[in-house]
Amino acid sequence: MSASKQMTGVGTNRRRFLQLAGATGIGALLPFSLTDVRFAAAAAGQLRVRFGSDISILDPALIFQVENQTIAGHVYNGLVKYDQATNEIVPDLAKSWEVSPDGTTYSFALHGGVKWHKGYGELTAEDVKFSFERVLDETTGSRYRGQLAGLEAVEAPDATTVVFRLAQANAGFLHKVCAFNQGWIVSRKAVEEKGEAYKLDPIGTGPFVFDSWIAGNSVRLVANDDYFEGRPQLNEAIFRIIRDETAAAIALENGEIDIFFGLQQPEVLDRLEAAKGVTVLSRAASNTVNLVLNTTVKPLDDVRVRRAIIHALNRQGLIDGFFRGTKTFAHSVLTATFQEYSENVPKYDYDPEKARKLLEEAGAVGFDFEITTVALSPYDRFPVPMADDLSAVGINATIKVVERGAYVQARASGRVQSCITAVVGPPDPDSPLVTLFSTASFPPGLNTSRYDKVDDLLAAAAKELDAAKRKAIYEEIQQRTMEDVPVVPIFGERLFLAHNDNVEGLVQNSLFTVYTYPVSLKA
Amino acid sequence: MAGYLGRTLVQLVATLVGIVTVAFFLMRAIPGDPALYMLGDFATEEAVAALRSRLGLDLPVYQQYLVFMERALTGDLGRSVVTGQPALAEMLSALPWSLSLAVAGLAVAVILGVPLGILSAIKQGTWVDMTIMLVALMGISFPVFWVGLVAVLFLSHHAGLFPALGAATGGGFWTQIHHLTLPALVLGLSVAAYIARLTRSAMLEVLGQDYIRVAHAMGVPEPRIFFRLALRNAFIPILAVIGVTFAWALGNAILVEVVFSRPGLGSTVLKAVLARDYQLVQAGVLVLATGVVLINATLNVLYGVIDPRMRSD
Repeated sequence: MSASKQMTGVGTNRRRFLQLAGATGIGALLPFSLTDVRFAAAAAGQLRVRFGSDISILDPALIFQVENQTIAGHVYNGLVKYDQATNEIVPDLAKSWEVSPDGTTYSFALHGGVKWHKGYGELTAEDVKFSFERVLDETTGSRYRGQLAGLEAVEAPDATTVVFRLAQANAGFLHKVCAFNQGWIVSRKAVEEKGEAYKLDPIGTGPFVFDSWIAGNSVRLVANDDYFEGRPQLNEAIFRIIRDETAAAIALENGEIDIFFGLQQPEVLDRLEAAKGVTVLSRAASNTVNLVLNTTVKPLDDVRVRRAIIHALNRQGLIDGFFRGTKTFAHSVLTATFQEYSENVPKYDYDPEKARKLLEEAGAVGFDFEITTVALSPYDRFPVPMADDLSAVGINATIKVVERGAYVQARASGRVQSCITAVVGPPDPDSPLVTLFSTASFPPGLNTSRYDKVDDLLAAAAKELDAAKRKAIYEEIQQRTMEDVPVVPIFGERLFLAHNDNVEGLVQNSLFTVYTYPVSLKA
Repeated sequence: MAGYLGRTLVQLVATLVGIVTVAFFLMRAIPGDPALYMLGDFATEEAVAALRSRLGLDLPVYQQYLVFMERALTGDLGRSVVTGQPALAEMLSALPWSLSLAVAGLAVAVILGVPLGILSAIKQGTWVDMTIMLVALMGISFPVFWVGLVAVLFLSHHAGLFPALGAATGGGFWTQIHHLTLPALVLGLSVAAYIARLTRSAMLEVLGQDYIRVAHAMGVPEPRIFFRLALRNAFIPILAVIGVTFAWALGNAILVEVVFSRPGLGSTVLKAVLARDYQLVQAGVLVLATGVVLINATLNVLYGVIDPRMRSD
């Protein structure tokens, strides 16, 4: 009797214990699921942006990669900047500027009272002078030193005036001092004080102050209360590293992030376009992805063979099929986003018959053709249909996919027969044209074609101060390079960005970055 | 015990020197160059040469090795070529992320895997056994990134129980745990499958031995046979696997890290290898190797605790 009572007692206790445990379990889960995930509100005024990979270096002289450039774009200003919507060059730290009639002297009048972040004092013309001289200094090891070629001196006659003296007129000079890469102005005091640490502890004048970096996880920027164009509406911006695009899409739909930066995969794009409460933005980028042909090796030294290759490629088919229409057709390496773009160039349809005939004329039927590409999606995959197209006209095409470090080295050696190359840069026509076609960019630079037929035109364009005449010269460059086809433009890149309904005022740019200064959050 | 620790320490140092040496030469044997990575699209011959000489890459490889070892012995593993931050510090900052995932994942794996393995062994040949083994086979066969995405889709997106991002950017302890749960479950499930299968076969082997049959014949109660006589002996191979798995989870949980957007040693080393950031790779290898060696040393001690026959002195 007593034993059975005891048993019951134990049973009840156990049941009650289980109930309690269950309740605590659910209790422990509920607050999370309600506050953290579903109706997740980040801290007030906190914007969360997805990054596809981590930042590595924020020093403008050494900077590369879109994530670094995005952070730098928030932290720094330039003398002038690209308008986010139109790519027009507009004032930034400089209120105004004057160009001497011969085009060799540029004088900028700076805004007064612009403050450096974290108490580094006021911006002066000395800082501007220092920023550019530093890029020119060989010991800095800046990758942008070549961009400032022809800059003879930077002078700071008073605190708010900067004068640039050029060896000869350069009509594209404003691009070089635009707020991007070498154009971002650094604090002299901070660079000298911090040394190596400056690479990830930037001091700028921009709308956001660099707060902290958790490697592999996130970057935090906070609003600059003293920003000279007015404090941002946001209190802080968190850039969260989410490598996988599907995971990022779910995080956006869950409300764990607000802006999905670096959206590329067509499948993820489809998903987000169908999702509720998500807006997808898209814009043509200022770069093409190209097949660069080495014009110094047989039989690619024959222009007929190069034309056979471009005729053999079904580029529209690649865009419609492989990329599901997420890229644009490219008539030359300049995209329609450039002011200097022209469609008046030799055009090459998809014409296997013509390709075969050209190959026969050149006596190159069945030659071995190797495309070197990098082991990163989609660059390792889209050359496959291209190789198919080439095989169909009797070119024995193979694809060599190598890991990034090996790829960069192979390309820099200049010994590859052909490779897939994209030049991502500011909307400066010299960015793709000089990089791909000037003899100054012979390997280890990106002119792995070793193409040397437009040096005269590139120089003439730089010297020409009349905008219309300059545009005509650029048109001629596009015509000549498409006549000779050292580089086959495969497609024009398109940029995608998605955000949730909380985000207002976001303008997508064509610089491959995202800029949150104009953004505000609902409620 | 002191002798044992001394031996372990000597082994530890020798192993680390060996591993770091191999990593040093392997990194330099693969094509690619940090100077080219840094200069990228605008590389010119002069710029590449200048940067190589600044980074000390123009020296013969054996000299680079001597310089590296000399500095490494004083605890200086150099700075990352790219970020300019001390390499060891950057790796150590990734360690807590990896460690928490490995510990939590392994806890899930042991809590699930060992009881299921035992149950399966006890019920050998029944439908219980079949079901458990089928599930375990699935756990081994399904790739972890797929399981991860499915878990995110159902448990996070549809059910709203956990965040899709497996690492919090701030918040207190419970927020961190909440973010960690899903990645730990996914990592744990794949490992639990191995552990369940191994526990089962280890248990079956022990249960077939003479002393167990004698115990049965003598009428020793079943639970006592299973848990006191059999399990303790079966635990040795299980422990070995747990040790190996822990080392694996520490460095190779890259797929889980990618799916759940977590930092970690694996992804940091991968990033460093891709950028040919030699110093960072070396620091990463050192940290990982130290972890693995320490775990193995701890396991050796644990073997002795479980099985007196293994106490060497």
